Formats: sequence, C-alpha cells, structure tokens
Amino acid sequence: MAKRAPAPKAGDKLTFLLALVPYLIDQVRVSVDEAAAHFGVPPQRVRDAVALITTSGLPGDDGAYSHADLFDIDWTAYEERDVITIIRAPVDEIPRLSSREAAALLAGLQVLAASPSFAARTDAVELMELLGRGASESVSPVAVAPSAPDDLRALLTRALDERLRVRLDYVSTRGERHSREVDPIRLDGLDDVWYLRAWCLLRDSERTFRLDRIAGAELVGPAAEHEAVSVDPEQLFRPAPDDQRVTLRLPVSALPLVADYRGPDDELSVDADSGTATLTLMVGHDGVLGRLVSCAPGAIEIAAPPEARAAVAAWARTALAKESV
Amino acid sequence: MARTIPVEERLFSLVLALLATEHGLTKHEILSTVTGYAARYATDRDRGSLERQFERDKEELRDLGVPLETFDAQGAVNDTKFQRYRIPADRYQLPDEVRFTPDQYALLGLAAQVWREGSLSQDSRRALTKLRSLGLALDDAIIGMAPTIRTRDAAHEPLTLAIDRGQQVTFRYLKPGRTAPELRRVSPLALVHHEGRWHLQAHDDAADAPRTFLLRRIVGQVSAAGAATRRPAADEPARALAELREIWQRTVAVVRPRPGSEADVVLRNRAETRVIGDSLEIRTTDLDILADELTAFGADVVVVEPASLRDAVDARWQAILERHG
Repeated sequence: MAKRAPAPKAGDKLTFLLALVPYLIDQVRVSVDEAAAHFGVPPQRVRDAVALITTSGLPGDDGAYSHADLFDIDWTAYEERDVITIIRAPVDEIPRLSSREAAALLAGLQVLAASPSFAARTDAVELMELLGRGASESVSPVAVAPSAPDDLRALLTRALDERLRVRLDYVSTRGERHSREVDPIRLDGLDDVWYLRAWCLLRDSERTFRLDRIAGAELVGPAAEHEAVSVDPEQLFRPAPDDQRVTLRLPVSALPLVADYRGPDDELSVDADSGTATLTLMVGHDGVLGRLVSCAPGAIEIAAPPEARAAVAAWARTALAKESV
Repeated sequence: MARTIPVEERLFSLVLALLATEHGLTKHEILSTVTGYAARYATDRDRGSLERQFERDKEELRDLGVPLETFDAQGAVNDTKFQRYRIPADRYQLPDEVRFTPDQYALLGLAAQVWREGSLSQDSRRALTKLRSLGLALDDAIIGMAPTIRTRDAAHEPLTLAIDRGQQVTFRYLKPGRTAPELRRVSPLALVHHEGRWHLQAHDDAADAPRTFLLRRIVGQVSAAGAATRRPAADEPARALAELREIWQRTVAVVRPRPGSEADVVLRNRAETRVIGDSLEIRTTDLDILADELTAFGADVVVVEPASLRDAVDARWQAILERHG
C-alpha cells in the first residue's frame, strides 16, 4: 500500500515523544534502528527525540526548571553502539487515546466489521469496548453506517480467497456491455464505491471494474497465475492518453462537488471578485460530460472546447425530448 | 542568546511538569519555570502573549487526549491567579486492562488503514503511535480486500474539533437544489458516514431545530462561534444513523431506465432497489440529491414518480441546456 507521509505537526511529534519513552523503558535495551522500525519513522527522528529528551534546556541555560535532569540514559551504549537504555525517567506511563483517536479506530473497525471477510470476527466487539476504555474522554461522536450485505461482494471475496476465475457481465461508462472472464487480484472500497482489480482475459491485461456496473457474476473455475502489478486505488482515476482537455466555469462553492473528476494536473484559477472558478481537466469521452455538469446542474458550464459544449447541449436536449415520449 | 525551543519540547516539558506535581502548579509557577516559557517569562515585557500561548497549549494537550485538570485553590474560587493545573497520572495513563492480543492489534492496524487522507487518518495514525509503546510489532498487512473511506471534506477536522471542545460553529451551506450558499449557525453533534457521504448532525441554533448537513456542501471556512447550545448525547451517532436510515427507507422514487443501459445496471445495484416490472423503486435520503444523480443518466432514465422529482430532473436538464445553448 502506497503511503504518503505528511510532514509531522507539533502534535504528532509530541505524541511520538510521549509514546517513545515508555516503549524505551519497556524494551530496556533497543537500537536506534529497531526503535525507528517499530514506530515506522526515520532513525533520525529517534535520535532527535533522544536528544530532546536528554540534553535540551539544561539547567543554567536559562535558570529554568527542566525535565532534562530527570532523564538519564546509558551514554556509552548510545554513543558507541547506537543502543538506547534508559536509566532514569520521570514518566513511564503509556498515554491514553484522545476522544478523536479512539473514534477513528472505532469507526474504522465498524467499516471492517461490515465487510464479508471480517463478519466472522467475534472479537471485534470486544475490541471496540476495550478501545472505549482506552480513551481519556468519551469517544468522539463519529460513526459509519454498515453497508447492506451484498451478494456480489461476497462472491468476489470468495473468488479472491479461493483463487477462482469469474465471468462478469459488465457495462462500461461508455454504455458498452460485455461478458468477460477475469482473475480477481484485489477489491478496493473507496467511500461507498467498490472496485475490482483483476486480470482481464479479454484484454489480456489488468483492468479495474466498478462493482456497481457489474450486472452479473459467476464463478467459472480456477484462476491462473499472473504477474502482480500493484496499483494504488487512487491510481484508478489517472487520465488515459486519449483523454480530452475540457474547461469548466463554475462557482467556487461548487468545486467540492466535482472533486471526483479532478486529477493532480488540473489547471485551476479563481476569480475572487466574482467567486468564479475556471477548471481545466481531462475527460475520457463525451459520455462523462453530462455527468460532470450534473454535479451541480445549471451552475457548471463547459466553457471549451466548442465541440464539448455542443455535446452537452445535445445530451440535455435528448434527455428532455425522451421524457415527453 | 537563548535558543529557540521547539513547540513539541515546550509541550513535552509542560506534560512532565504537570504529571510530576501532586498539588498542582499555578500559572505563574508554570510560566516562570517550565522550559519554553521560562526564558520568555524572564525577558518579555508583554506577558499577555505568553499567557495566550499557554491557553493554546492547554487546548492542544486536551485535543491530544492529555487530561489537563484545572482546579481552584481553597478560598479562591474562580480566581485564575490562584488556579492550579495538573495532569493526574491515573487519568493520563492507558488503563492496565487495555492490552491487545497480536490478532486484535493487527485488526487495529487494518482499522487505521480504512482512513485515506484527512483528519481521521491523522487521528488513527496518532492512536497507533501511542499503542506502539505497548511494544507489539505491527506488520504493514496487505489484505486482498481493503475498504477505504476518505475524509477529504475540509470541514471534517474543524467540526470534530468543535464537537470535542463544545463549540458552536458558523459556515456557509450550499443546500441541494440551490445555486447560492447561505450562512448557518449550529451546535455540531455528530459526524456520520452514510451511503458514501459524510453528514453533520447538528442543532441549528438560528432555526432552533435539529438539522443534517452534507459536509461536501459546506462552503469555505467553518468558524468557531462560541459555546454550543447542545452537547452530543452518548448515542448521538447511532441516533443520527438511525434517522438517516429511516429517511432512506421512506423516501422512495420510481424510475424506468433504458433496459441494459449503464443506468439500468447501476440503479439495480443501488442498495435496496426493488424491481417492479420494467421499473425500479429506489431509495434516497434527499430527493434533490437524487435529482442530481438521475440527471447524470440523461436520456437513459425516465422518472415515473414522484412528479416533483420528475419536474426537478427536467428543470436540471433545462438549466444545463440553457447554459450551453
């Protein structure tokens, strides 16, 4: 799984310090590299933390009270062998979780508990209760609705677990409907939409299928081995080379509504006086244009190219005409 | 010249000082002795800014789950000059019974991975940092089936913070079906994820009535506005979800998609759709949002009822046509 590590904030750094100290005490002897690997941080962050804990703000610097004289480590072991051994520390407690931290893990468990692979985990409830007791205040009011049981997801989960081939009846965003056989690689849920990453035998390459566009699925036998190409779920939305550039004009307030269609290389300019945004993004085919303007109908305008404008107008005209039939 | 003390060092020193004190420290004692304040206390002419710094630090520690207590000195009720501060060790430390088996711990690691970007991702990362001090190894488990939920709405973090701090907030809200946002003043109560969207359950203080808002439709800044008029009940998120569920159950529309089209497949796959002959009975929490969703299908869908929904979808196609005519 690809992870983007955001720059740590002061809160992250403090949390790390407060967690590192009881860990070091508990481990008795631990190398800088081991500690870094355990917390998933660069070794330098461990060294910075040790320096902060032990040597900063020595008494006499500013005549102030300091925690530094409260800490002592085995300096020889640290300097010669990169091993941390705490000899004296004023604190050895493991900190409780904040309301929001407990809520984040709890709601994450709720999401997991709703998926077929975890439905059998009876210890999840016990774990949730345990987490509630690990918070310093009542857990923040955050919750996720369990998604309804879903036969398709259960079938695909089984295909993944047992390495089975699946025949899909699939309709693409272009409205083309195909029957095709695939060997599932993974299932990714993004918000409420599930995506199947699979080896497509029709195209002889990896493809992504939205579960809500699968009209039917059946197991057809054992799957074959394929070379795995790992893809970050967000990669699913990268533009293809034959996408066309389309420029939209829309109120700034409607920008979040088109977030699903945006990519990292979009051009965005905002006119603060009128509150109007101009956004240029990549669109796969004309069928997407109608969807795009429907995110905020009447507020979003396709400004260019002229063919795209005309396509949207024709699309809306057809929709209205059909209604009267 | 005194060196600049990093924020996390000041906060770390403050935590240790307040954990170590049995009878509490006064603000004067803290500011004049704790690293990060003391040097400035000795030299700064304006102690107001240092005191404001201390106020912000207290908030930050509480947000991180550190139980910072304030209590009045005997015979000096509400006199901030004599108020004392401390962190009781028994409320600071993770209770002894909160320990996890390797299996439970692995499940927590997966629960943290549910959150992609945004504030819940930050909160679960901090929670795991704290739990890592328990010493259990946490593999970066990769499972074949990964549900992820994004908390990318900018309003998410300020709203959770406001709920934790018991604050009222104001924001501009773009109501579904409207083109201009309006200002709201609410006491936030819970954040719940339902059918792919984050909802804020709140008490609208201007209307003096409960209201539900979609986070994606909150425009611009969420500003803290004073003390909240209501606090969340213990079962607030469960109640909010039950209410959304009840609305979902009773808000029904009948549509006729073009057989075999993408609209047909997607709407059949929608949660709890019922097939009635060549029509589909579908559910929603908001007919205006459903109107946007149906508009996106263009000529592939006919709205049968309610008539208000049919008119709303027609009006949307008309508005799109006018923008592009």
